[in-house]
Amino acid sequence: MIGYLARRLLGLIPVLLGITLISFGVMKLAPGKPTDAAVQFNPKASFEARERMEKLLGLDQPLHRQYLRWLGRVVRFDFEVRPGGLFDRLTTVLVFIGYSAPGFWLALLAIGWFGVTLRWFPVSGLHAIDHEAMGLLRRGLDVAWHLALPVGVMTFVGLAGLSRYARSGMIEVLRQDYIRTARAKGLPERRVLFRHGLRNALLPIITILGLSLPDLIAGSVVMETVFSIPGMGRLFYDAVMARDQNVVMALVTIGALLTLLGNLLADLAYAYADPRIRVRGGR
Amino acid sequence: MKKVPGTFPALRSTRYFGNRLAATGAAVLLLLAVIAVCAPWLAPYDPLAVNLPEALLAPSPAHWLGTDPLGRDVLSRLIFGSRISLLIGFIAVGVAVVIGTAVGLLAGYAGGRCDAALMRLVDTMLAFPSIFLLLAVIAILEPNIYNIMAVIGLTSWMGVARLVRAEILSLKERDFVLAARALGASPLRLMVRHLLPNAMGPVLVAATLGVGGAILTESVLSYLGLGVQPPTPSWGNILNEGRVALGIAWWLTLTPGVCILVTVLAFNLLGEGIRDGLARR
Repeated sequence: MIGYLARRLLGLIPVLLGITLISFGVMKLAPGKPTDAAVQFNPKASFEARERMEKLLGLDQPLHRQYLRWLGRVVRFDFEVRPGGLFDRLTTVLVFIGYSAPGFWLALLAIGWFGVTLRWFPVSGLHAIDHEAMGLLRRGLDVAWHLALPVGVMTFVGLAGLSRYARSGMIEVLRQDYIRTARAKGLPERRVLFRHGLRNALLPIITILGLSLPDLIAGSVVMETVFSIPGMGRLFYDAVMARDQNVVMALVTIGALLTLLGNLLADLAYAYADPRIRVRGGR
Repeated sequence: MKKVPGTFPALRSTRYFGNRLAATGAAVLLLLAVIAVCAPWLAPYDPLAVNLPEALLAPSPAHWLGTDPLGRDVLSRLIFGSRISLLIGFIAVGVAVVIGTAVGLLAGYAGGRCDAALMRLVDTMLAFPSIFLLLAVIAILEPNIYNIMAVIGLTSWMGVARLVRAEILSLKERDFVLAARALGASPLRLMVRHLLPNAMGPVLVAATLGVGGAILTESVLSYLGLGVQPPTPSWGNILNEGRVALGIAWWLTLTPGVCILVTVLAFNLLGEGIRDGLARR
């Protein structure tokens, strides 16, 4: 089993290399240089300035050297994530789409495609019909198999929202003086980004996570209805449809309490993660 | 070259890119508004005309986007559905902006106990997962388009209230407000003439993003059967009716979702564009 996994992972390497090679090749085959916009169409830029700029960007190096340099960055997940970079634009667009798409619609599409057409995953419910007869392990796998689609869709929708905040947080943090200090100290860019930048940019995410608890519950109402999963959300929907006011009121209250609990946990986690809040002694 | 955010090419391209996206969003919305207004002339069929022999037809030259389980033309229903979505989106947000602005203005200006009480109200409202409130209230009332607009508005004003309050708190200490007060302006005049107009920027952003959110909410409600009631077409209930034919009639699931996605995306892009524009001032 482990040998199989290792083989599969090793098998992925040439594919990944091929992908990077093609993306690099396409970019380099496209006419024009990244410096053109800044230099060539600027009559004030001297020839020397242009050469200096190309040298800075490593464009004076032979192609294979440029590729290896870029590959080195890819391995470190350094896609030049800066405002306006290609990776930034691409993810911004994807995230915007994920953020704007109705989750239940993505769920319907997933059911239609992966469930009905391809028959990879079950389309509804939490168990197979014969789950009573299964052993513990099989039963667990059965539940996981049933949950793959709903969890996958909800993750994508949640991810889109979170990465928006992460992006704006990161952009904000990278403007700070201490980032300039870290760079000026000559720290490697990776260390600046992940240790000095990301750690601070993640702070607001804690709050967002706490605040997103109601969204999760709300999402579960829709998702559990779409996937016929017998959870709290589905119970709420059924209660509303049956005008079962007691259940409705109970669940509305529980939902609100969970939200408050989420906010509290977020505040505590925030204080734990950010010493400045602890030192100030809180509110 | 080290990546220094704010160096000239990077920053400039972001702005250009952002502007272009916002302009695209605005163009899409304009087109959508035209479609909604001209729906009766644009729709090739009556969106309510049942024609059972032609049920669940795949897209063809006669029915560009196919037909639904009752043989109704999907394109015509989508075109008329745009009216419902935009109407609900704008009116619900209108309700939210009016309530939110009033609460925020009052809390920020009055301060003290009034402020504390209003902000606890906001906190309380925010504690409820909004879909719970929406579903519960609509089930008690009656799912029709007016109730939906009112309830979406009544459950989404809190963000605006917080924004306005924060703006007012910083504005009311500014010199021009103090000057107006020294000249003897009444509290009402101060609030309406001096404070409010200067606090509207963030509200405009929140409102633009909010319309997209309200349209999403309407589609969820209609999908759950608690929104716009059939036979009136809305993007959400077309999806609901397509559910029974999932896997057979992909056009019933795909097309309304794309409409919602594109519309909400356009509002989000425009809203972010306005925000960037305001931030740059």
